[in-house]
Amino acid sequence: MEKVLLKNIDNPDSADIGEYRKAGGYRSLPKALELEPKAIIEEVKKAGLRGRGGAGFPVAMKWTFASSDPKFPKYLLCNADEGEPGTFKDRPILEKNPHLLIEGMIISGYTLKAEYGYIYLRGEYPEAKHILDKAIAQAYENGFLGEKIAGKDVRFHLAVHQGAGAYICGEETALIESLEGDRGQPRIKPPFPVNVGAFSMPTVVNNVETLSNLPYIIEIGGEAYSKIGSPDCPGPKLYCVSGHIEKPGVYELPMGTILKDIIYTHCGGIKGGGKLKAVIPGGISTPVLPPDKLDCPMDFVNMPKHGSMLGSGAVIVMDESVCLVKVCYRALKFFEHESCGKCTPCREGTGWLRSILGRIEDGSGVDGDIELLLSVSGNIMGKTFCPLGDGAASVVQNFIKHFRPEFEDHIKNAGCSLKN
Amino acid sequence: MITVNINGKDIKLEKAVTVLEAARSAGIKIPTLCYHEQLEKYGGCRLCLVEVEKMPRLQTACTLISADGMVIRTETEQLAEVRRGILEFLLINHPLDCPYCDKAGECELQDLVEKYGTAKGRYMEKKRTVPESLEDPVIVRNMGRCIACTRCVRMCEGVQGASAIAVINRGGHSHIEPFSGGRYDCEYCGNCVSVCPVGAIMSRLHRHSYRPWQVKENIETVCPYCGVGCTVILQVRDDVIKRVVPRIGSVVNNGMLCSRGRFGYEFVGNRERLTSPLIKKNGVFEEATWEEAISLVANRLKEARDGYGGAAVAGIASPRCTNEDNFIFQKFMRVVLGTNNIDSSARTGYAGAQSFIENISGQGATANIIAGLSNSDVVLVTGGDPTTVNPILGLQIRSCAGKGGNILTVGHVRGLRHFNPAELRPALFTETLLLEGILHSLKNTKELPGSNPKFEAKIRELNISPEDIIKTCGVSEEDFNGFLKKLSGAANPAIVIGKELIQSIGSSYKLFLVLAINYLINGRVYLLSERANEQGLIDMGCTPDSLPGCRPVAYAEFRRRYETAWKTTIPDKPGLSIFEMMDSAGSGALKAMYIMGENPLFNLPESHASEAALKNLDFLVVQDIFLTETGKLADVVLPSLGWSEKEGTFTNMERRIQRLRKAVYRDGMEDWKILSEVAKNMGVKFNYADAEEIFNEISRVSPLHRDLTYNEIEKGNALYPYKGEPLRGVMEDIVSHKGDRLDAGDKLYLGLERPLFHSGTLSTKASALLHIYPEAVATISPSTAEKFSLKPGDKVRVTTGAGSLSLPVAVDDAVHGSLVMITNNFEGKGAFALIKYIADPVTKAPVIEGIEVHLEKDGTV
Ligand SMILES: Cc1cc2nc3c(=O)[nH]c(=O)nc-3n(C[C@H](O)[C@H](O)[C@H](O)COP(=O)(O)O)c2cc1C
Ligand code: SF4
Ligand code: SF4
Ligand code: SF4
Ligand code: SF4
Ligand code: FES
Repeated sequence: MEKVLLKNIDNPDSADIGEYRKAGGYRSLPKALELEPKAIIEEVKKAGLRGRGGAGFPVAMKWTFASSDPKFPKYLLCNADEGEPGTFKDRPILEKNPHLLIEGMIISGYTLKAEYGYIYLRGEYPEAKHILDKAIAQAYENGFLGEKIAGKDVRFHLAVHQGAGAYICGEETALIESLEGDRGQPRIKPPFPVNVGAFSMPTVVNNVETLSNLPYIIEIGGEAYSKIGSPDCPGPKLYCVSGHIEKPGVYELPMGTILKDIIYTHCGGIKGGGKLKAVIPGGISTPVLPPDKLDCPMDFVNMPKHGSMLGSGAVIVMDESVCLVKVCYRALKFFEHESCGKCTPCREGTGWLRSILGRIEDGSGVDGDIELLLSVSGNIMGKTFCPLGDGAASVVQNFIKHFRPEFEDHIKNAGCSLKN
Repeated sequence: MITVNINGKDIKLEKAVTVLEAARSAGIKIPTLCYHEQLEKYGGCRLCLVEVEKMPRLQTACTLISADGMVIRTETEQLAEVRRGILEFLLINHPLDCPYCDKAGECELQDLVEKYGTAKGRYMEKKRTVPESLEDPVIVRNMGRCIACTRCVRMCEGVQGASAIAVINRGGHSHIEPFSGGRYDCEYCGNCVSVCPVGAIMSRLHRHSYRPWQVKENIETVCPYCGVGCTVILQVRDDVIKRVVPRIGSVVNNGMLCSRGRFGYEFVGNRERLTSPLIKKNGVFEEATWEEAISLVANRLKEARDGYGGAAVAGIASPRCTNEDNFIFQKFMRVVLGTNNIDSSARTGYAGAQSFIENISGQGATANIIAGLSNSDVVLVTGGDPTTVNPILGLQIRSCAGKGGNILTVGHVRGLRHFNPAELRPALFTETLLLEGILHSLKNTKELPGSNPKFEAKIRELNISPEDIIKTCGVSEEDFNGFLKKLSGAANPAIVIGKELIQSIGSSYKLFLVLAINYLINGRVYLLSERANEQGLIDMGCTPDSLPGCRPVAYAEFRRRYETAWKTTIPDKPGLSIFEMMDSAGSGALKAMYIMGENPLFNLPESHASEAALKNLDFLVVQDIFLTETGKLADVVLPSLGWSEKEGTFTNMERRIQRLRKAVYRDGMEDWKILSEVAKNMGVKFNYADAEEIFNEISRVSPLHRDLTYNEIEKGNALYPYKGEPLRGVMEDIVSHKGDRLDAGDKLYLGLERPLFHSGTLSTKASALLHIYPEAVATISPSTAEKFSLKPGDKVRVTTGAGSLSLPVAVDDAVHGSLVMITNNFEGKGAFALIKYIADPVTKAPVIEGIEVHLEKDGTV
């Protein structure tokens, strides 16, 4: 497949506007400005583009909601918080192909009649901040940003806002709170950001990768785009593969590539020829899969049918040397640390789960602890304010579901047998 | 109309309220914790989860808006389990120190666990702990108990508008801290304390001194401090007020209080309270019996009256006393002593300003509903900071801003500075010019409405040349125009007038200008009032020129009504004002005075002159709850019952009459009762069994209060003009005085600090307020501090032509660079000692502007 999102990234100067233009960049923008915003939404709809941030929400639908709200000004926010453990797919776009994102945002801004855009950037990406600032300055110099874009009566301003290292700020309403200078905590929905978002105005939040698809959709048309990858969920997709794998990295493949193929065909299989124990297919919040369940197409529609989720497309591969109780414990430590504290089950429950897992891991688990884990995670699941808490509960539930004997073993033998 | 079905019951709703509200309207209980009716929705605790058909997830009833046809279940097996689970989560890290926690008994968490929780604990690890914080004098924090519901933060930020506290840390470590870290240093309204469902933040005043169930009585009464007249509930145990709380739904303050109202009640039980009558013998006070004291007072007053006539006696009434006390006071003066020499401290601003306003705009012009401010689209604030003088009124202005209304201020108003005010800060002594400029420009855009020809004639007469106004006042043209645009575009405007305007140079002319502006924009006027019953004492006739019901004494027809009722003759000439009383006492024309609940030595300019004047009297009787500076000069001191110890009524600045109730028992007599005893000793029968009987007489004789009863008042029907007749059609010529504009130069001038935490000297007898604001200070701007090399806490000597005070320095960037603000609440350190009595010739209010001060570092005190 032709590379769209990672096009030209082997060029060491790919982040420069000149190189980007040489490779065909900023050609979709004038083309888009010739179209009516409605027509662009129509193309996006035909393309079947879904959000790449984790939930896979249809982009055209979100945009239609925001467009039909009569309030102005509207805002376009790019979610570049990339906080899901295992995920590093947006990073190459931000650092290597920033103009693709910028071009995508200008087209989106024009479509939504949003004149202000922000890139909410993960605080731990200082390099990307630097690169984006420079790219934005170049785009202003070249008349792609600012007033009268490409000589037309179109204006769009763009700035980068750096997060301060909270995972929850990747959740779109917490992101908005944080952008406004408030504590990063999710807001009550409804109203949804498309109606009452940043600064109480209609706002669209899209992921970096999502927005970076726009120039290509304009270039080849929605119809042609929809032929790439899964019919239910088309387009190119970035998969970031890490762990015990021969060739870890970010892979641009058609949406719906089979998980097993990603691991064995594209990434060269398990590191050192080791034996696979478990795969987390879409970032830590998505259900873990045992080795016999990898024949699943990696897209938003099919993964749930196979007992997991596509999430952020972050494939974490674990071989036999890994203690899954410890992984589960580490995951819960993460969720406990990142729980914003707004709602009771997540605030109190994640810490409790972590402490139970901690004692099982260090050999002081007691009979009944597995039931307790299931009971506590059950008391979290479905009761939290936002998906973070559910994610934490689901991690525990799925690790136990697929690897219960390992937990039992820890309790019985007062510790991890892998340690010796 | 929307219909939802909850637990099989169809509920019809007028509008799409939340499912929780819908359920409550039908008497269906859903447990909640983070929800609070005064606050913005949050949805954090998850206790209110319910099942909704066609929705896959459980929904929080407190956030879900009901929709037609929604089918909801609130009592199922699943939900019972969910509630147990949530409560278990809340308890795992909760200290469970209920036996020691002051909240036990009214703790929402405890109650909920009792009803919905489980008895078994499954948590085996160590609990998270946060030590108790006693860093603040008023608020105790036990953050280990905090359940992170953020009710306190939402209260402080969203309703109080103080934004003093926030959630710090994340996840399980979330808890609440003031931005200042240790002490709160906030507005100390305590409204956060009211909404905390658990024992995480509590008032320190009653710490470990009782249990909620030991409170036998909740007595609803009125706050003793300012003219807003907030409803307060006194919780009493064994004749001691344990706590003061507001009531949600009360008309004036709807569940909110300010620091004074909530934490200022301790003066009642202060050990310095007078307990026995005192008679001065050879220059020293000796305790005396009531019989002895009263007969002495009666005899001496009789001597003065009989020897020199009614004109030689005078009385000062009290804005802290009830309507009933004040009514009896003026009746005593008029009937028993035969004089109209009755006045009060309201003369230092409120009374004169109100007469001036009413003369132009009609009686009752200032009787506007405080809560209405929040629904205005423009509020223009003049004359100081309403958020400190009348804090609950200030909240309404903040709320107006919150709803998108425009706040306009003349001068910098600290308490509104975070509410996006359009602010015009005129240079020192140019406020008149600025108001002229505003009026002039408004006249160009607005027609005179024609409803008040006499006033319009005066407005037309004004000869203003606005050319250099902007330059002279030092405001930018852009700000001025923006300000005007908002003002002239107002559809439902209000104007707030504070004492700084009334006590400034040319105040009557400024009032005239403000009223003219108000006339052009068709607004409502709010006159700030510093004392709880300032309005009431005026309405009761405690002024030299009017009888109860605000009937001018100079008119025979009005006099006759009272003469008939009281079978007496009332002098036809108005009596002496409070200032004239001091002059007359000084000159020897006045022989005797009766002062009830007032401290003129402190509250009038030229304390030295007042002191000499009062010493010059043949006889002075002072009736009070404390031995004040004035009391010390008296021949006889009579202790009276105070607020919370007696029945009666107050009239607030809206002119709403409200019931004051007895909550604690104390030995002694009400002011009216003492007066009646003196009257009896002078051969006039004042036979009142109780305060209600006095009120019944008021409603019989005062045309304004006609037919009003306690019953009526209790129902909340006592809003101006009641069922009575306000006075119409008596309009005097409109006279105002402009005064000369001073040239500021680079001198320093005196200003009066009106702290949020004090009200008169009364609040300094309340220890909590003293802890918050312990002493009089001289507050200066950072630039003045630098110029005089002063830092906070340094002692400075402040000297004016009238006197000198040594005070600690405070530095505040909200203070004007040319002003030295002096607190006027602490006896012995009163700012009036630094002020010569120069009055506006029309309102008679003292001028506290343009008084030069000299600062000198003073290490000696
Ligand atoms: C706890 C949490 C963390 C999230 N973190 C991210 C993130 O880092 N990046 C992202 O694009 N979306 C993240 N999301 C998803 C966003 O809320 C939102 O759905 C997304 O930005 C929408 O963009 P899209 O439609 O283009 O995917 C997160 C969601 C949750 C609940
Ligand atoms: S589930 Fe609750 S506590 Fe956890 S991150 Fe979301 S809102 Fe915050
Ligand atoms: S006392 Fe009032 S101002 Fe202070 S923190 Fe509480 S709510 Fe805020
Ligand atoms: S201090 Fe009280 S009101 Fe504030 S968050 Fe904690 S429990 Fe809630
Ligand atoms: S001092 Fe005034 S504003 Fe404060 S509680 Fe009392 S009446 Fe209300
Ligand atoms: S009361 Fe509804 S979530 Fe707390």
